[in-house]
Amino acid sequence: MATSPGEPEDILRPILNTSKKYYIAFGIAAAVALLWSAVYGWQLEEGLIVTNLADWGSGGGSPWGLYIGAFIWWVGIAHGGIILSAAVRLFGMKRYQPVARVAELLTLGALSMAGLYILVHMGRPDRLVLSVVPAYPWTVRTSPLAWDVTVITLYFVMTATYLGLTIRYDVYHLRDRLPDYLGPFYSLVTLGYSETEEEIIERMVWWLALGIIVLAPLLLHGGVIPWLFSLIPSMPGWDGGVQGPQFLTIALTSAIAGVIIISYALRWGYDWDHILTDAMFRGLTNWLGLFGLLFLWLQLQQVINGVFAEPVAGKTAMVARITQPYYIVAIGTVIVILAYVFAQAVDQRQFSLVRSLTASFLMLFATLTEKVLFVFEGLLYPHFSLYEAVPGHYFPSIVEFSSLAGTISLCTLFFLVIVKLFPVVELHAVEDHHDEHEHEAVHDEEVTS
Amino acid sequence: MSTEDTQDDEPRHPYETEDSFHPLGEEWEDRMREELEDTEYDADLGMQMARDAQRLVAGEISEEEFYAEYHDDVEEEFEADDRPLFDDVDPAEWDDIEDESVAESLAEADLQGDETSRREMMKKMGAGAAFLGYGAYATYDFQPADGAPDNVSSIRPAPKDEREHRWGMVIDLQRCDGCLSCVAGCIDENGTSTGANWMYVFTYENHDSEQENFLVRPCQHCSNAPCAKVCPVRARHTRAKDGLVLTDYETCIGCRYCQVACPYGVNYFQWGEPDVEMSRLEHLDMRPEEVRQLEGGDYDDRDSERYQALSDANDHVYDHRGRWTDSRPPQGTMGKCTMCPSRQDGHTDNPKGTVACMDACDAAGMSAIHFGDLDDPESRANRYLERRTEVERTVLEKWEGEEDEDLDIETTASPTSEISTFRLLEDLGTQPNIVYLGNKPGPNAEQSEPPTPYEVYSGSSNKWGVEVVDERKEHLDYGPSGPPEQEGEEGGE
Ligand code: SF4
Ligand code: SF4
Ligand code: SF4
Repeated sequence: MATSPGEPEDILRPILNTSKKYYIAFGIAAAVALLWSAVYGWQLEEGLIVTNLADWGSGGGSPWGLYIGAFIWWVGIAHGGIILSAAVRLFGMKRYQPVARVAELLTLGALSMAGLYILVHMGRPDRLVLSVVPAYPWTVRTSPLAWDVTVITLYFVMTATYLGLTIRYDVYHLRDRLPDYLGPFYSLVTLGYSETEEEIIERMVWWLALGIIVLAPLLLHGGVIPWLFSLIPSMPGWDGGVQGPQFLTIALTSAIAGVIIISYALRWGYDWDHILTDAMFRGLTNWLGLFGLLFLWLQLQQVINGVFAEPVAGKTAMVARITQPYYIVAIGTVIVILAYVFAQAVDQRQFSLVRSLTASFLMLFATLTEKVLFVFEGLLYPHFSLYEAVPGHYFPSIVEFSSLAGTISLCTLFFLVIVKLFPVVELHAVEDHHDEHEHEAVHDEEVTS
Repeated sequence: MSTEDTQDDEPRHPYETEDSFHPLGEEWEDRMREELEDTEYDADLGMQMARDAQRLVAGEISEEEFYAEYHDDVEEEFEADDRPLFDDVDPAEWDDIEDESVAESLAEADLQGDETSRREMMKKMGAGAAFLGYGAYATYDFQPADGAPDNVSSIRPAPKDEREHRWGMVIDLQRCDGCLSCVAGCIDENGTSTGANWMYVFTYENHDSEQENFLVRPCQHCSNAPCAKVCPVRARHTRAKDGLVLTDYETCIGCRYCQVACPYGVNYFQWGEPDVEMSRLEHLDMRPEEVRQLEGGDYDDRDSERYQALSDANDHVYDHRGRWTDSRPPQGTMGKCTMCPSRQDGHTDNPKGTVACMDACDAAGMSAIHFGDLDDPESRANRYLERRTEVERTVLEKWEGEEDEDLDIETTASPTSEISTFRLLEDLGTQPNIVYLGNKPGPNAEQSEPPTPYEVYSGSSNKWGVEVVDERKEHLDYGPSGPPEQEGEEGGE
């Protein structure tokens, strides 16, 4: 396995040079984001009637749909990202160190998108602050939605702190090679930096990582997000303690897929074959398979429990779910991905970067589909089954679909801006390589693929 | 000391005994004292204030007396007394009071009292005085008016002896013939948009019979309402004094969590522009915040400025607290059956203790809906329930051929009875306040064509000239411009 050590020059390249690819990517992302903001403006103007959502019950629709599904999906990506990076730091998983920061950045970007979806979903986004804040001390004890907002904020702060701490080190050590026009930004980031703090910071980062890992299953995707659904008495399709683990596996699967995609883009854009190595991608692909397997396993648990001897309402909901073509497509996709992952694990020749990339895209599609289905299918089969003569039906409108394109573009823009500000691969990752390979690093070494 | 002033031969309030004023007893009180002593403030003053604070909420002394008594002491102790501004406590200060020790005891309080008690305690603590807070805990002052931060309401009715009413309905399904008069009555009263049938009547068949059955479905005004629990802003709330579950249209952020959490599917969101404009609903020429600023009284206080203004205008939009909770919701917020709070607060031309759907049902000669105070044995709802069970008693007695005084068939239907009572999905723990007489829909019940289609009440058949439909989704699918060739606003009035 031929890997070449990276150099600090490599990780600085995105900041110092701007390629044509960059401009094109930026242009497309900005255009799509702008387009969507116009669509969102229309929604603000007319109200949520521009979506295909409607009231459940005698109304015959689904009040929650793609917006909430996409919200969970983004939170899942974010949550998985931070767990990934924390695991790298906590267990010293050197191989993945080059993507640790990518995972953290993905967390920040994805959490922002999730937050945006809360706004987009609301009927009166103008009241967000004025309504939520005054009642908060009371609602936080009763409303799972208030818990969500709390935990998302907490995670945002933790991740930002975490990222901030490691960036200080990099910026300080690379300062003289960073562009001057960003001088004030770098001075701010390294404010009060002294080399003696390095050890302390390393320890702080370790503890933060520990905190994140410990909190992860309890909070966010292992806790408050599934509780949003599983705690309420109305919808049998959402019941059950399995939702926590189920959400968590989906989160991890989606996040690894996201990291693979972004890493691939970086490697392609900046010729980082020697930093983001094939070995690393293969490892990530294996993790994708492992979590994908857990995802399927928990689906199986639910299906078997739901169809065997469940009370009427729960059975109806489950039968409806497993006969839904979109569900079958989503689960089928995961099975195909798993087939690839295990094939390449057994026989290395089956591995290719493009295949892993495709698997990642498909996985994100599958998890998104599953999440959106979970939300509205649950709502269509309530305990109070008399409404079934006015069966709900729901298919997202163009406005709703456009939000996906919009948020993905915004997240891309976020990355495109970040790569210009500071190294997205941390200095430690290339320094460590450096230590291991005392000889001069060369770029012309071939990477077999 | 105000303690002396108010002591007389009246039976004493349990909190008032000198040994331990706290309902949780001496041990608790000692712990309070210890915690107070840990603070830099005067523990004795604190304990005395706590004692009187409880008498305050028990209604033995007035707020004025209370503040007059302690103003100087508090000023000395805290270097400023900015408490008595109960009406405009700054929300920012609520956070300040959550210091360590207080927060701890709050956590404990939570285990012992229920949600409302702690909320009320927080309310009394609004000025940040830990002393006061300790005292007010567990006193169950459910008065939602004065002092309650405006946007924070309870999610449970007050305990029976502290509330005025518990509104609910007894609905006799055997009398219902599916004429939908109640549905139309509610639309006329509230100006709801097309398909938002706050009152909804199911027509259904049980699996094994062809017989047509009806289920009349308003909001159940649950005493343990999941919708109120989950609301992230307490827009959906329960009026502690009378158990009505309402939505504050000015606070609701339109997240639709209440709708998702409600097991009965009674909520209708205002997805777009409402069909009936505000100007047609509102009789009062005031902004909502102006209504709230009017001097308002207690529940049922007919002398207050706000009550006067509302009743002069025959208002049907605000409740007695000056909150916009009645009639159809504005765009982007949640609506559902309200049990007509402006009627229950007595400021409309229609009498308290009535609701529009019941009036319509009576007018149609059906009298299937009986609204009333379920706490009050003399209310229409309870009297009706009793009459029905009395009829049954005689039937039963005839059957059994004996006179048994203790025969208890009032609450549960006897096996030989022809009519049963039930509440919907009672096993979900929601404690609904609608009692049904008649048959419960079985697990395989299926909805069927109603004998009277909802569309019958469309257009000129209702006060507003809006279209009336059964299923709303199709109507909504037309999007913001509405269905073609249909102008909802014409006709009516
Ligand atoms: S029926 Fe639904 S909306 Fe009405 S109080 Fe109960 S939970 Fe809330
Ligand atoms: S829609 Fe409004 S009332 Fe319902 S939970 Fe959300 S904020 Fe509360
Ligand atoms: S009680 Fe009032 S709001 Fe509820 S269904 Fe009857 S008329 Fe409508």
